[in-house]
Amino acid sequence: MRRFANILAVALAYTLLAGVAALVLTPLVWLVAAAVKGPDDMFHYTFFSPQPTLFNFRKLFGEIPFLRYMINSFFLAGTTTLVQLFFSSLGGFALAKYEFKGKRVIMLVMLATMMIPGQVMLAPMYKLIYRMGLVDTYAGLIIPGAVSVFGMFLFRQSMLQIPDDLLQAARIDGCSEFRAYWDVVMPISRPMVGAFCLIAFMGSWNSFLWPQIILHNQQRFTLPIALNQCVGLYEQQYGVLMAGTLLSILPVTILFFVLQKEFIAGLTAGAVKE
Amino acid sequence: MRFLALGKAPVVILVATLASALYLSIHPVNESPANLHMWTFAKSHYDAYIDGIPAFEAAHPGVKVDVQLVSGVAVTSRLRAAFWSDLDVPDLVEVEISSAGSFFRGPMRDIGFSDLTNWLDQSGWGDRLVRSRFAPYTSRGRIFGIPHDVHPVMLAYRRDIFEQEGIDLSKVETWDEFVEIGRRMTRDLDGDGVPDRYMIELEDNGAGNMEMFLFQRDGGYFDKSGNLVMDSETALETLKWYVPLVAGPKKIANSLAGGQIFTQALESGYFLSIIAPDWRSRTTEMDVPRVSGKMALMPLPAVRTGGRRTSTWGGTMLGITKHCKNPELAREYAVHIYCDAKNLAKRFPSINIIPPLKEAWALPEFNDPRPYWSGQPLGKLYADLAEQTPSQYTSPFIGLAKAKLGEAVVACVLYYNRNGERGFDEFARRTLKSCADDVRKMMKRDPFQQSDAEHPGGRQ
Amino acid sequence: MSAATSGWFWKRQQKWAPYYFVAPFIILFLTFGVYPLLHSIWLAFHITSGPKSAVFVGLENFRFLLSDPDFYKAVRNTAVFACFSVFLQLPLSLGLALLLNARWVKGRNVFRFAFFTPHLVGQVFVAVLFSVIFIPKYGLLNVSLHRLLGVGLETKWLGNPQLVMPALVITSLWMYVGFNMIYFLAALQAVDNQLYEAAQVDGANRFQQFLHVTMPGIRQVTVFVVMMSTIGSFQLFELPYVMLNGSGPDKAGLTIVMYLYDTGFNTGDLGYASAIGWTLALIVLTISLAQLKITKTLKPGG
Repeated sequence: MRRFANILAVALAYTLLAGVAALVLTPLVWLVAAAVKGPDDMFHYTFFSPQPTLFNFRKLFGEIPFLRYMINSFFLAGTTTLVQLFFSSLGGFALAKYEFKGKRVIMLVMLATMMIPGQVMLAPMYKLIYRMGLVDTYAGLIIPGAVSVFGMFLFRQSMLQIPDDLLQAARIDGCSEFRAYWDVVMPISRPMVGAFCLIAFMGSWNSFLWPQIILHNQQRFTLPIALNQCVGLYEQQYGVLMAGTLLSILPVTILFFVLQKEFIAGLTAGAVKE
Repeated sequence: MRFLALGKAPVVILVATLASALYLSIHPVNESPANLHMWTFAKSHYDAYIDGIPAFEAAHPGVKVDVQLVSGVAVTSRLRAAFWSDLDVPDLVEVEISSAGSFFRGPMRDIGFSDLTNWLDQSGWGDRLVRSRFAPYTSRGRIFGIPHDVHPVMLAYRRDIFEQEGIDLSKVETWDEFVEIGRRMTRDLDGDGVPDRYMIELEDNGAGNMEMFLFQRDGGYFDKSGNLVMDSETALETLKWYVPLVAGPKKIANSLAGGQIFTQALESGYFLSIIAPDWRSRTTEMDVPRVSGKMALMPLPAVRTGGRRTSTWGGTMLGITKHCKNPELAREYAVHIYCDAKNLAKRFPSINIIPPLKEAWALPEFNDPRPYWSGQPLGKLYADLAEQTPSQYTSPFIGLAKAKLGEAVVACVLYYNRNGERGFDEFARRTLKSCADDVRKMMKRDPFQQSDAEHPGGRQ
Repeated sequence: MSAATSGWFWKRQQKWAPYYFVAPFIILFLTFGVYPLLHSIWLAFHITSGPKSAVFVGLENFRFLLSDPDFYKAVRNTAVFACFSVFLQLPLSLGLALLLNARWVKGRNVFRFAFFTPHLVGQVFVAVLFSVIFIPKYGLLNVSLHRLLGVGLETKWLGNPQLVMPALVITSLWMYVGFNMIYFLAALQAVDNQLYEAAQVDGANRFQQFLHVTMPGIRQVTVFVVMMSTIGSFQLFELPYVMLNGSGPDKAGLTIVMYLYDTGFNTGDLGYASAIGWTLALIVLTISLAQLKITKTLKPGG
């Protein structure tokens, strides 16, 4: 009897899990289906049509410089990620492994910047970026976000666990502090590096508001801005819109697929252990 | 090679970044060498202007025109940002009617468009274009935009379905008759308890359609001097008439969504008629090709017998920015794209938009019978109504006023669906008043408008 | 090199190194943090027409804010959204995590990947995708509901003011349930198994185990997740902005940040926008502190 109840519970649990998974994945499957459906099939088949077509993709690349938007996005997100990775890990290292005057103040300031919604400063930031001559440049997007406070916290968290002896040993070997960071600490922090890369890349790849304000020239647009513009343009061809959406979310999904383990470990590290 | 010790992620990202950087350095952003920059947000306008560039450049040696298509979603925010930073401001720009007012905020000297009033008077263009169309682009008595269009409104309907029912809709003269037919035609055909045929497409969730009925009755959001009149008796009367069309058990109108949904709805006879300003006659031709020959146009029914048979919906202005270094050239270009009767006539069949230049309407292109519209001479039908198009006055607060009127419609629809006629009059009056008061409160806050009102023309 | 290890230079560089390391943050904070922050305080006391003209109005912006129906609407919408995030979405996330944490579950990583995927899709892309899924008559949601439950095909999710918020909540459930589950799952896996065994020895049933072992074990993560969800909800902008192409019918999708953006970058009143921003900051701060305080008092034995 008890065995039977157990089997029932297990079956129920699997059904539930599978059901939720189906619910979660259906819109994505539908997205793929819509992207390869011709305009006339769009509403005739709920999911895949028997005649898949690349029509939407041809239109996407033929009518708008979609390739350029993608490459812009890659460049911007990649650069932002690498810059943030360097500065944030460096800052996190200092906060984790050194005692110095003003450290508490810096930590407090960091906390405060995370608490205040960035939108408060949207207007004055725009004025500032303009005065620096950075409107409509990628620098105007990369420089203000070169250090991620969130990233500094993440790296501090993971680097706290690195034993001091290791650093001391490196110093005795004649490493400068920077070399100790680069040669000893960073390789140990590899899981966090992977996680942070994905977080930063995702954040920059998906960011909308600030690029929308800063970028003027269409040739510099990134995917979110470009796609938002397409909404009005392709109201008659949802397929094209869906093809654009599909291509926009593919890179991050692939990156995640490759880095899944590291990412989840890093993401939760800050919250779970303390 | 220490970098490799950091794991896959940074390496993959580095490679992607370098590859994209390589591509971008091979294909740098082309800074346009043009000396006359223009932005438009409408694809059809864009295509027409691109076609016209060679002729203009040939007539003006040394001039290079660059027309950019900026998405309608982004054009206002981009233009505003450009005005604020004085950076990348186009010389000419087309702005949609509902956002034009927002550019007239603040003291006169802050307005990014140059004042065209004197030029329009002296050049004579002001009189050759439909007068009422300057109203939405005028602030404190000064004109900042040239109208691209007149946008008279007609009713487009499924002639075939009405004929099957033995109804000649074109005989209908007033809204009362129209509604009466509508009650009979709005039906549940498959018996599932939900109507699947509506007399007309009208929205119940905003003021987008209602404002058109308001204009037809000579009402509006603001009067000529910029005072708020959206809670006038006319507006109240319009609201009380409109809500029962889209709410309650006897409603004759519904709306679904735009795009492909609309296409299906018109094709399947879900909507028997739609409000069709001239521009929409063209988008309907493009988006719903399958009903070609089954559609017809008629003037809007009047509020009372003998009343105005049209209204207006939508619009675009062309502004010349203060930033423009060669306003003379910009004005010539404006004349080239807006005031050349022959060009306008040539462009007409591809956009169906009646130009404000009255002398163009006599040209043959406007009289062509259109197979899509059961052989009706579409251009002439719209042009005949064009001069009756009511004025719609604007204000920097037009956006807020529209939103608030929309709120009133939504609240009234909700009330009417729940309570029907009982107490509706009183509710409508109270709601409209309170929505208008919200706008007034915001207007009273504005420190710029009042100070300029004392010195019209401002400090230029 | 090693000869210099004990020299004054190395002592100095060891002392100054942390300052160099945090210098990028400090420099950026001073330029892109302090100045805009101070400037936004200044702005909050002015009514402006773009960045060019400003008129000093004292506290008028804040006074007006308290009587501004649109601001209240934005706060109400945002708060409702936040409540759903915390009280509907998080329990679902926890439930999923508990299911997935069961010892006998096979294919945990596959499920985890499936549940998490939506979070990879940026808000703008989700908005575009769901704006099509929500369309009446032919959209995936209406077609599915019609086939499964016989619900009407014509539900205008994004066109009916009363359905806009449910649509947003559905979308955010899709986006974030799996994301938050990851946190709960990590916390659950970190709970010491010996504690369960000890509880079993004491004769605690499943529910008692959950109450006395699991709950304390995931307390910290719960606080973290609740805080992040609340703060995230209060900053909601892109999803409704792109999905509804603005604030939607009857401004049913207006959020605080959207009102701020609209006031600043469409109306041109950077002053009022800054006042809204500071009020938002105050709201977020208050809620965060309140949550911290509540969890502190709930702390077992403290």
